[in-house]
Amino acid sequence: MLQQIIQTLPQVLVDGLTLGFIYAVVAIGYTMVYGILELINFAHGDIFMTGSFVGAGMLFFLLSIGFMSSVPSLILFIIIILVAAIVTGVLGVGIERVAYRPLRRKNAPKLIALITSIGISFILEDAVRFIAELKTGNYILTAPPMFQHRFVLNVHSVFPFFNNATFQSSFLVVSIVTIIMLISLDIFVNRTKWGMAMRAVAQDRETASLMSINVNRVISVTFFIGSALGGATGVLFLIQYGTIDPYIGFILGIKAFTAAVLGGIGNIRGAMFGGILLGVLEMFAAANLSIITNNAMDSGYKDVFAFIILILVLIFKPEGLFGKAAVEKV
Amino acid sequence: MIKTWFEKFADNTTGQIIFFAAYVVLTTLGLFLLSDSVTAFLILLLSLLILYYLKLNIKIKWALGLLIIAVLVPFAASQGSSYQSFMDVGTLVLIYVAMSLGLNIVVGFAGLLDLGFIAFFAVGAYTYAIFGSTQANHFMPFGHYPLPGDTFWLFIPIGAIIAAIFGILLGIPVLRVKGDYLAIVTLGFGEIIRIVLNNMNKPINITNGPMGIPSIEPPRLFGIAIQNASQFYYIALVIFLFAIYIATRLEHSKLGRAWKAVRDNEIAAQAMGIPLVKTKLAAFAIGASFSGMMGSVFAAKQMYIDASSFTYLESTIVLVMVILGGMGSIPGVILGAAVVIILNNQVLTDISNTLTQLSASGVISVPDALSPAKMQRFIFGILLVVFALYRTKGLIPHKNRVFNVSKLKREAAAEKNKYKDDPEVEGSES
Amino acid sequence: MNILEIKNLTKKFGGLTATSDISMSVEKNSITAVIGPNGAGKTTFFNMITAVYKPTSGDILLNGKSLVGLKPHQVCHFGITRTFQNIRLFSEQTVLENVLVGMHQRLKSHWVGTLLHLPAITREEEQAKVEAYKILEYVGLEDFVNESAGNLPYGAQRRLEIARAIASQPKILLLDEPAAGMNPKETKSLTDLIHDMRTRLNVTIILIEHDMKLVMEISDYIYVLDHGELIASGKPDDIRNNKRVIEAYLGKEASSLG
Repeated sequence: MLQQIIQTLPQVLVDGLTLGFIYAVVAIGYTMVYGILELINFAHGDIFMTGSFVGAGMLFFLLSIGFMSSVPSLILFIIIILVAAIVTGVLGVGIERVAYRPLRRKNAPKLIALITSIGISFILEDAVRFIAELKTGNYILTAPPMFQHRFVLNVHSVFPFFNNATFQSSFLVVSIVTIIMLISLDIFVNRTKWGMAMRAVAQDRETASLMSINVNRVISVTFFIGSALGGATGVLFLIQYGTIDPYIGFILGIKAFTAAVLGGIGNIRGAMFGGILLGVLEMFAAANLSIITNNAMDSGYKDVFAFIILILVLIFKPEGLFGKAAVEKV
Repeated sequence: MIKTWFEKFADNTTGQIIFFAAYVVLTTLGLFLLSDSVTAFLILLLSLLILYYLKLNIKIKWALGLLIIAVLVPFAASQGSSYQSFMDVGTLVLIYVAMSLGLNIVVGFAGLLDLGFIAFFAVGAYTYAIFGSTQANHFMPFGHYPLPGDTFWLFIPIGAIIAAIFGILLGIPVLRVKGDYLAIVTLGFGEIIRIVLNNMNKPINITNGPMGIPSIEPPRLFGIAIQNASQFYYIALVIFLFAIYIATRLEHSKLGRAWKAVRDNEIAAQAMGIPLVKTKLAAFAIGASFSGMMGSVFAAKQMYIDASSFTYLESTIVLVMVILGGMGSIPGVILGAAVVIILNNQVLTDISNTLTQLSASGVISVPDALSPAKMQRFIFGILLVVFALYRTKGLIPHKNRVFNVSKLKREAAAEKNKYKDDPEVEGSES
Repeated sequence: MNILEIKNLTKKFGGLTATSDISMSVEKNSITAVIGPNGAGKTTFFNMITAVYKPTSGDILLNGKSLVGLKPHQVCHFGITRTFQNIRLFSEQTVLENVLVGMHQRLKSHWVGTLLHLPAITREEEQAKVEAYKILEYVGLEDFVNESAGNLPYGAQRRLEIARAIASQPKILLLDEPAAGMNPKETKSLTDLIHDMRTRLNVTIILIEHDMKLVMEISDYIYVLDHGELIASGKPDDIRNNKRVIEAYLGKEASSLG
């Protein structure tokens, strides 16, 4: 049994990293918004989903005008991901303006803000569904293949107890793009004026506003960046997995949120780490559950593991792996 | 002029009764004659809302309300071919009202946002489904299944108890987390339960996995099998009344006050001697039990269940009912549930059907993608956002109980009062 | 006789010591004040007595029984209730209901009994309402019975906190800055109320307060905290002239000038 598990480990790792990168970037969107507003933005998973549909739409459009044949697919990909990021970024800012800001102004209870975000999430899912269905007749889209070249990672010849792992070139694209996004975000938050303002607002909104920081602008910027990253990740998801539907954002969103919690909510580097960890764990569970439990459980349970991790962390270590416990002031 | 007329009307009890009686008679006749008209059905149901706003003795209101839902509605609808479908919607309304009254205890009274509430409904439904079909033969070492339909009645309390146990099991770990985290943890639990139900066909086949459980025994009463919606309507009605009774009794009891205290200020509530965990668990358990009871009814009515009836969307729909009606407001929640179900299962379907017919006959062209019946999420999403932003307290906002001050004053004066130096009641305890 | 004994009570938040090695004894039926500059650890001290925080070390004895390790609601059952510095009313509930919540632990009704409509429970509820009304009369809020607690004016909210606390018939009542934000007239009637509660309700009162006039007027005994440490204790007159206390409040220079 153990041997079987070890053999597949390289493949699990490759698949887990792919998924983990995607979780990591989406998790950052949750963590940034939560850090600043203490709100679980339920709509964030759907912004990710919207990004993937915008990407698919762009792809189909560019295909239909014959753009694809004349340009290398990498350029095409960069155009698509940028457009998707900008569209979803603007969408995120819009949602914040229309739905969350009025609540903040009214000092509404947190419960209400949360419920609003659930509502927004539903609206997005259906809006995307009927646009997709209107345009294509079907809300499940399959993108034309991109970056399909297969590589074989020849681990077996070096470590005979491992099997070889294979991956597509899309894996490289996903990894490189996410690493670029993660590093630039880290620099942005830690090294720039806006990043500093963001951290200040997250720590203490009132004091920040006294220090002449325009809190609403900072919140808008946060939503823009978080949503743009989420949308761009949607495009990555599209090229990696090929098939999308309007409901992919829900489960993926919860898992990404789990990743954010795992890394300590509000902690951007923690979210990156949490995402990657969760991706690998999930792929490990999917590959090995039936082996470990002797067929009693199969990969149908893999989502359960993400939820169990979420619940365990929230109950026993709500500050996450890298956070500090907070004391409630009485 | 209209305003003064209204004011006069508001004070004129006899006038109100006459008006109301006329309205009920007319609309009952209307439905009776135009038996398939959804509009007539809805206008008759509207009488219940009118009744709520009339200034009558509360007992008379209840009696009239019961008369309408238990006698007039079924009678008036019974003439047409839509009878069973009307009663089906009616049964669903009652099921969901009971469920949203349960969620209202958790969210509205105790202030705990539960996004996995449908799980308790699932637990109740599966409990009867497993034992009321051949499914239990797969794993039960003794007994012969399906149990006869006469045992269904036992499964109503059993469903309630098992759901309550699940509520407590869920509550114990979950209540260590607060606010937003609680919401996401309950969501996680709800999904876990759904996924587990959907996968428990091996190693031991307990739930038959994604295939679902078919041929669930219909309940039997005095040897008669209950199979029609018009019959289930009365089962649901009894449980619905029971749920309203519990919810209203508890709201103004010691426990109800404790829930609201915990909701308004946890720390102060504890300082006043309210045990946090026990109080929250009671909310979870009692709220869940409402769902569990109705779950059994649902399974019996559908005769087939699978895990796809218990998704996050369903949990959210119950939440929409509570928010739409008004958190913490029992009449509001009843209205909210009725509106949502009727909208979802009657109005949207009808509009969709009409549109399809019109499209087919070429009058207009509405793409299938925009069919209102498919727009559930969009519509409920809009409702959630609009109500959260503009009418946080819902359609019928919660009203605090009004105490009779002069009565209290009188009684306080009549008793001895240790808080007062009163020469007349000398010798009061010091 | 001492009703409450505090022994070497220390609370650390990570590296920060909020209170350090505080000991005091409170006589039954006395009025004791805990004073000190902002951040001296007074509220932390109250929070430890009411089990909101668990002390890092030390002991709290009520009539010889330790309260350390209890849950906040159990402390209430033992007979200690409190008010809060930053008012914590059940703002969505009415004034009378707030007082009824205060009676929570005294009411015996179980919810199953409520559902069964047991006459004993109906009677208990009726009596509770009348008593709650009496308490509201006592603190002067009888005109607000059906008002939402959150809509009351500030001074009335502070009074309601007191009403809610005495509804549980405590042995010890902790008042956290009861006069904060009150005008002199309101403070005067609050002073009278505190005096009256002690004799009428037979309760021991411990209060945190910044209004020195009030403190000096009603306290039997005063403890002074500064930077989490107990720097002085004694009768009002001793405290008034205590050099360390003046230093703590006004700084070293001031005291040497004086």
